[in-house]
Amino acid sequence: MKVRKIVTVVEEIRSEGGREVYPPARVAVVAAVIENPWAGQGFVDDLGPGINATASDLGALLAPQVLDALDAPAEAYGKAAIVGLDGEIEHGSGLIHTLQFGDHFRKAANATTLLPAVEKRGPAGVLFDIPLKHITDATIRSHHQTVEVRIADAPHPDEIVVALAAAAQGRPQQRLAPLSTEQ
Amino acid sequence: MQEIDLELQIGLRKLVVYRETVVTEAGAQPARPARQASVAAVVRNPWVGTGPTHDLSADVARIAPVLARLVTDHLIEALGGVDAVEAFGKAAIVGSAGEIEHGGALIHTPYFGNLMREFLDGESIICFADTRAEAGEPLVVPLWHKSQAATRSHYQTVTARVSDAPRADEVVIVGAASTGPRPHPRIGDRTTDPAVTSKSLESVLS
Repeated sequence: MKVRKIVTVVEEIRSEGGREVYPPARVAVVAAVIENPWAGQGFVDDLGPGINATASDLGALLAPQVLDALDAPAEAYGKAAIVGLDGEIEHGSGLIHTLQFGDHFRKAANATTLLPAVEKRGPAGVLFDIPLKHITDATIRSHHQTVEVRIADAPHPDEIVVALAAAAQGRPQQRLAPLSTEQ
Repeated sequence: MQEIDLELQIGLRKLVVYRETVVTEAGAQPARPARQASVAAVVRNPWVGTGPTHDLSADVARIAPVLARLVTDHLIEALGGVDAVEAFGKAAIVGSAGEIEHGGALIHTPYFGNLMREFLDGESIICFADTRAEAGEPLVVPLWHKSQAATRSHYQTVTARVSDAPRADEVVIVGAASTGPRPHPRIGDRTTDPAVTSKSLESVLS
């Protein structure tokens, strides 16, 4: 795995809807900008070897860092793969849609659910929204949220941005009735 | 809680800390790997609705020092200590209902600049960028060396952006810093430059 840079973003919301949020709502993202393992190889039928060579290392790199940046137990989480223009979205999906990648985060966060994800292709500086859901029960409505990320100079055409996101709580000022009230 | 109260009093809505660590650049590890960070504080513009003759000084003295403390505290934390910080810069993004002068008021007076310099243990004037923009507009923030501004290896920028700020009645105040030079600095310095004048370059310019 060839890493060009690591980006960390931490958002802290202190007020929302004109009312104080206390404790402040925290969301953290850690993204690795890596070379697309399949860059320059044309159409590769079997992505397995590249996935096996990369996905677990990526998960092991990002999971502790995003929890460290959050500096609190994670209650919601999500992931992203943003593929540079010369790659296939399948390349990004290959790296993040495998237990080899996500299990590092699940284990470190004591989580059990699958990670919600965004996969897209775009130029450097493309905006992407990472969806987050509760780490043990994806139906907990208060924790459905997104965080928006942009890296000014990534991904290059032959790169992939792979990111993990974690939130220490649900939405600030969350006040929707739970799913169970509609069933 | 006192800190939180102060931050509420200045109308702080949100804080975004962004950090980049270069692992490789142009395929090679930097000799001195550096980390860059920006800290963006989203605050209410206290002067929306006031006219161009309104005296800004009272609110500057009230708000700018709290912002300087907040932004530098988070920069220091993000970069691993005051001593790790080698370069700095600052910026303001004013929402569309404000004047650029409002952003300048919050970053260009001693109530912000002197304190940022003091907290980051610097001596240089702090370089800056400002703009008036819609929410989500990226702003490239220049940095230079915190005690020797002419150190060319440390001329660099970091891009700051808050997805949902500034609203029309808000200002985003940004402090930025780096722990070292550009990844592969190799464009010399004042100490190594030849004397270049239009006369010495006559053959190139003619």
